Amino acid sequence: MTQSAQVEVQETREREAAAEPRQPATRSLWAVVFILCLLLVGEIFAATCIGAVTIKPGTVASVFVNRHAEGLEMEKTIVFQIRLPRVLAAALVGCGLSIAGVLFQGLFRNPMADPYVIGSSGGAALGATLGIVFLPHFSLLGFGATASLAFCFSLLTMIVVYWLARVGGRTPIVTLLLVGLALSAILAYSTTFVVLLHPDSYVAVHLLTIWLHGAISNTQWSQVAVASVMVGLGTVLSFPLGRSLNALCLGDDYAQQLGIRVEFLRAAIILVGSLLTAAAVSLGGLIGFVGLIIPHIVRLFVGPDHSRLLPIAGLAGAIFLILADTLARTVLSPSELPVGILTAFIGGPVFLFLLRRGKREYAL
Amino acid sequence: MKTLLELRDVTFSYGTEGIFQQAGFTVKPGERIAVIGRNGSGKTTLLRLAAGLLTTRQGRVLLDGYAVNEMSRRSIAQVIAFVPQQLFVPFDFTVDQLVSQGRTPYLRALRNLSTADYAAINEAMSRTQITHLRHRIFNQLSGGEQQRVKIAIALAQQPRLLLLDEPTQHLDIGRQAEILELLLKLNLEGVTIVAAIHDLYAVQQTFPAVALLHDRTIAQGTASELLRPELLAPAFGLNGRALPILRRADHFATEEAHIEPVR
Repeated sequence: MTQSAQVEVQETREREAAAEPRQPATRSLWAVVFILCLLLVGEIFAATCIGAVTIKPGTVASVFVNRHAEGLEMEKTIVFQIRLPRVLAAALVGCGLSIAGVLFQGLFRNPMADPYVIGSSGGAALGATLGIVFLPHFSLLGFGATASLAFCFSLLTMIVVYWLARVGGRTPIVTLLLVGLALSAILAYSTTFVVLLHPDSYVAVHLLTIWLHGAISNTQWSQVAVASVMVGLGTVLSFPLGRSLNALCLGDDYAQQLGIRVEFLRAAIILVGSLLTAAAVSLGGLIGFVGLIIPHIVRLFVGPDHSRLLPIAGLAGAIFLILADTLARTVLSPSELPVGILTAFIGGPVFLFLLRRGKREYAL
Repeated sequence: MKTLLELRDVTFSYGTEGIFQQAGFTVKPGERIAVIGRNGSGKTTLLRLAAGLLTTRQGRVLLDGYAVNEMSRRSIAQVIAFVPQQLFVPFDFTVDQLVSQGRTPYLRALRNLSTADYAAINEAMSRTQITHLRHRIFNQLSGGEQQRVKIAIALAQQPRLLLLDEPTQHLDIGRQAEILELLLKLNLEGVTIVAAIHDLYAVQQTFPAVALLHDRTIAQGTASELLRPELLAPAFGLNGRALPILRRADHFATEEAHIEPVR
């Protein structure tokens, strides 16, 4: 064989090696992400049209294209002041809770971990309530006391849960759920107590409905802005954790011997997960089970690899929650359901199913 | 010959329970060492100390002459691969996905795997003969297959030193033979091996060098030097009355030393 022929053979081999099975999989990940993005944008548009007053898609489109056009004042107000911020809030809540769910499930090596179930949401709700009741005018770099305290309390709760629920390097389902149950109860009653300290009883009752049942109601653009910074930051920070999360799933010894700094990784997961939970809770209160259903369903389709799971779960969560929230505000139109009721109706059975199956597969 | 790994005057304890008292342990490149000793004598502790997963109270653990606790976790992971006794996988990872994780010490957080990474993964799977299982889910494999996957993860790290904690535990005798044969093959291909093994018969068959853990020290020597009833009886607390078991093992070893592993 001549030298050039050898080089050619060599090159062919390299090309074949480069075209190993994983490469198409990476491409398909981007394809799925792209399709989900299109779906999300379409859904945001559709959800903006639907409501107590239905607005024709054409009208919504023309209002989007030219915000300052004459006429259509009522439609403009509905689209920009009421519906769009709310739909975007739902997307942020869904995305934040789903990614937080994936992160916590990886951290605890347990598919039952969800911000709501393990008490992280409860902590955020208490923090947010404290902010609303006691420091309504506080602001730090544009972040009000609501978001900041939600983050602090969610973080604190996670540290406590982590410290209480881990037994010898593992987190048995029973311990995790019991710790989550106890903490959630303590936090929920503390929230109620704090709310009752509010001087205005009408506001207090309204707050209780929001925080304890999970409802995305009149959302301000400023809230959407703060939450999108938090969710955006949390999402971007979660992606580099994907591969390490895979290693962490194998246990501490394995992760460490694979070169992972386990303590650092755990701190990062808790920090990012709490940030996402706090953003979601400061918009929608205690919306349960989203962080459980979405990762579970996405895992059925894309498998447990976290670097694929994180982006897809984020998008799927956003899509799911816009759908749920649109249903919540239209089913009993003109009155509204808290969206938490819908997610509980769907998520509760999924949770029980997982628990039942857990007896077999995820015991310990 | 240069020393690959050395534990020098290591003292270690869990709380008040002393495990090692000024113990020493040396591994030279290319060696195949079996770590033996009674339950709780510190076999796992020795392996975890060697892998840098535990920190010594006194004394030093040296890898290529450098202190392990001053090296980054990544650089240790590129030299030493540790196969823990148990691997519990909470999600439905496939064999392929697990073996790929052996590349973790070489990867940046967001970078895709390179051609070299795929080559290492494929080689690790073919050396452990699990290529046909690559799309199967780990949790659905048999014990022997799972053990081979664990070794493949370690091989994907392309380590110079492979530490295994009881790799033959809970396996039937045929699968035990497969694993031991695999370790032998890997060692002949140049990987240094230190494995905790309970079955002294297997040790006698497969390992030229032995480390006997007893009384918070580590005795190192060849298999024939250390696998003697007068040393094993006190180390395993046999008190003489059970010595016939040892003699029988001895007898087996001399009579049937050349038995071929059943496949």
